[in-house]
Amino acid sequence: MGKDHILVGLEIGTSKICVVVGESKPDGSIKILGVGHAPSRGVRKGEIVDFDTAQKCVHEALVDAEEKSDVMIQSVYVGITGSHISSFNNRGAVNVPEDQEEITDMDCENVRGAAKEVSIPSQNAFIHSILQHYYVDGQDGVLNPIGMIGGKLEADFHIIHGIGNRIKNTIRCVREIPLEVEDVVFNPLAAAQVVLNQNQKNLGALVIDIGGGTTDFLVYVDGAVKQTGVLAVGGDHITNDISMGLRIPMARAEKLKVEEGSVILGNSLPGETILLKDDHGFAGKEIERETLNTIIHMRMRETLELLRRTLLQRENYLDYLGAGVFITGGTSQLKGIDNLAQDIFEMPVHRTHAQTMSGLTSAFENPQFSTAIGLIKYAQAIQLDRPSGWLSRIKRKIPFFG
Amino acid sequence: MIQLNRNYHLVPQTNDTVKIKIVGLGGAGSNALDRIVLDGVESADLVAINSDVQSLTSSVANEKVQLGREATRGLGAGGDPEVGLTAAEEAIDEIRSALDGAGMVFLCVGLGGGTGSGAAPLVASIAKEQGALVVVFATMPFTFEGKRRSAQAHDALASLQIAADAVICFENDTMGDAVSPKAGIHQAFAAADETISQSVRAISQLFAHPGILHIGFDDLRAALANNNARCLFGHGEAEGDNRAHDALTRALKNPLMDRGRLLDDAHKILVNVAGGPGMTLNEVQILMEELGRHVGDESHILFGTAVDPKLGNRMSVTIISSISVGVQLPAARPARITAHVEPAPEPEPEPVPEVIEAATPEPEQELIADEEPVAPPPPKPAPVARPKPVIKAKPAAPELIPAADAKPKAEAKQETLQFEAITRGRFEKSEPTIVDGEDLDVPTFLRRNVKVK
Ligand SMILES: Nc1nc2c(ncn2[C@@H]2O[C@H](COP(=O)(O)OP(=O)(O)OP(=O)(O)O)[C@@H](O)[C@H]2O)c(=O)[nH]1
Ligand SMILES: Nc1ncnc2c1ncn2[C@@H]1O[C@H](COP(=O)(O)OP(=O)(O)O)[C@@H](O)[C@H]1O
Ligand SMILES: [Mg+2]
Ligand SMILES: [Mg+2]
Repeated sequence: MGKDHILVGLEIGTSKICVVVGESKPDGSIKILGVGHAPSRGVRKGEIVDFDTAQKCVHEALVDAEEKSDVMIQSVYVGITGSHISSFNNRGAVNVPEDQEEITDMDCENVRGAAKEVSIPSQNAFIHSILQHYYVDGQDGVLNPIGMIGGKLEADFHIIHGIGNRIKNTIRCVREIPLEVEDVVFNPLAAAQVVLNQNQKNLGALVIDIGGGTTDFLVYVDGAVKQTGVLAVGGDHITNDISMGLRIPMARAEKLKVEEGSVILGNSLPGETILLKDDHGFAGKEIERETLNTIIHMRMRETLELLRRTLLQRENYLDYLGAGVFITGGTSQLKGIDNLAQDIFEMPVHRTHAQTMSGLTSAFENPQFSTAIGLIKYAQAIQLDRPSGWLSRIKRKIPFFG
Repeated sequence: MIQLNRNYHLVPQTNDTVKIKIVGLGGAGSNALDRIVLDGVESADLVAINSDVQSLTSSVANEKVQLGREATRGLGAGGDPEVGLTAAEEAIDEIRSALDGAGMVFLCVGLGGGTGSGAAPLVASIAKEQGALVVVFATMPFTFEGKRRSAQAHDALASLQIAADAVICFENDTMGDAVSPKAGIHQAFAAADETISQSVRAISQLFAHPGILHIGFDDLRAALANNNARCLFGHGEAEGDNRAHDALTRALKNPLMDRGRLLDDAHKILVNVAGGPGMTLNEVQILMEELGRHVGDESHILFGTAVDPKLGNRMSVTIISSISVGVQLPAARPARITAHVEPAPEPEPEPVPEVIEAATPEPEQELIADEEPVAPPPPKPAPVARPKPVIKAKPAAPELIPAADAKPKAEAKQETLQFEAITRGRFEKSEPTIVDGEDLDVPTFLRRNVKVK
């Protein structure tokens, strides 16, 4: 196995680039060895728009991670997001060959192929086909059909696809560093692996990762991924709204949002103001607290309501979320966001970060790193790949190389 | 029947303004003319030209020319452009005298039938011969009207593109998209007439002042210069606290704009913003910034702004451009991020849009002092979401007004400026986030009409 127990996750986020180095233990646990990061430039709404600049930032974060973890990084698992990514559920079916007694892993592979025989836009490529449930001769609830006797094997998959060129662009950005890309993973799928435990996945949970430029989400029902997606709206929109509404520069708006902002209305005293100091520390502009919070509230409410509508568009999975809603990503730190989300989704809402890791506690307690840490957990699952674990549900081949 | 209840009395001509004649040719042209009068247009003579006497009689135009007294005997050209042309040749002197003295001729015509398709190129060249600048507003027939009409329309359009200075071409199919499929053909035509009327009005407003005529016209031509072009046109007016935003939203709602998405592919875009004396610099900026989101990186914006007291509390936005019809809708376009050069050896600072250098804040020092190796990254410096104030806040630019023009009564005054590039602030270079027709990059409070101080 050699160095295989070292796993590295890379998130090229809109706000920051983050490289997490972890060690996969034989018992399935993960120890975080180091986290490198750099402010992200040249990335908008989760997608690289300025290739060279973004590449430099990736390089910076990589060097930082190598120093902190004392590991020479050779290959990474890369998270991707962007509004070009979409998903749907589909069932595949195959007949088990007559002369064959038991269902084999070959049949499982074939049923996955059958589920992907649907038309997606010609410029799109498959990113994931995630197994939900098997059916053998029409009987459901089959966890592992291999070795079972049956004539017809069916399976439901959650299929995620996106524009091939954009995914390739991200891969190229990393490869030219140069770094090997082990796999690309849709961000919320990675994040969900560390913010949820198996019990929460079984009970049903909605994970919302609100970053700088996008809001990525994923729904687990009965332990299976049922819905995923991206809204190209994030914390940057709040900052931009503040900057325009209060007519202050973006950097000040950002600071004001993080330090003073809240989504809760009616909590400030009438006429309560915040004094913005100017660059030299002199008294500058006065800002009404309620105005600031109104700007934030309107944006967050709109975004979460849009998310709710999006989730209700297909099937009403919201009725099956026994464990509730889990918000992560940098914007999950916004004051009062859990209360607002609770109002909108009408169920318990938790702000979370990566759970169940050892090593640098400060790393997994930061919700901005959930995705990057999740990439390691995802990678571990892929590498350990046991036939009956949850990991085999995610296994796939990547179509982006070559 | 169209009721003429407002603005029928046109503003009298003054010597220092260019005389504009709006010509409605054929049945469609004449209907469009009626609509233009109904909507109100300033300082223009209206001329109806048709071979169909019935249509001519009911027209509101103050000058009427009957074509083909002999050739068609008061009936239409029966859908045959040859007949239409013969009819026009027969009336060539009357056409000449009707167009005499015009500095600009706006020729409105529905292509596809006999009179309009046959006579339009001739009418356009007569107007040119007499020294007028000729802008044609033409419609292309609905697909369901059949191949023959479509072919006739295309032939006529090709001749018009040679004969006229500029051709603004509208597709009925596209304009009709705004009308529910169940609505009748009349409603579809009415929608088309309205679009034509708006564009005529908007363009005559562009040229309402002689001082900038030549500049404006070059711009118009540049915006429309596209072989095999499809015209993008949008016009919107609004009043109230968010009039800048609302006017733009309305302009982009025009079916010819495809909600602004098509603008991304346009090379030159002419934008005119007009408002009453109360229009502020900030409003123009908000509007241009928002518009910037819909415009491709390579696009060149030809920007004009005018203060028109007649607009009162309203603000109006007109967008005119063209794309070649080979361009696909954004959904079908390949990713924008494609070819890239090798990384430069020297590290460079983040590229900041050139136009806003003055307004870009310095990066704030270490906002979060945290010794942890995994401290959250400090917020990055980002360009301010405001364009450099190149627009002068003055309601009028005195240097652009000829001295002789010193009349007490203020006419629409115009200043034309060039915007090199428009910043979209934080969302520079990214695709706009449009959901259900709303641009989510625009602050929510603005879209919800919530006032913030
Ligand atoms: N916008 C608009 N377009 C119309 C209207 N009526 C017809 N059209 C379009 O204009 C094209 C030409 O029709 P007309 O203007 O009626 O034809 P004409 O030029 O008068 O020619 P003849 O009737 O053959 O003499 C048609 O093919 C339609 O596409 C109308 O009321 N409004
Ligand atoms: N304490 C805070 N309160 C509110 N927003 C915050 C806070 N800390 C970070 N953010 C916001 O979180 C966003 C970045 O989150 P992150 O998950 O790192 O994004 P990305 O993955 O897109 O880079 C930024 O918009 C930032 O303003
Ligand atoms: Mg993220
Ligand atoms: Mg006719």
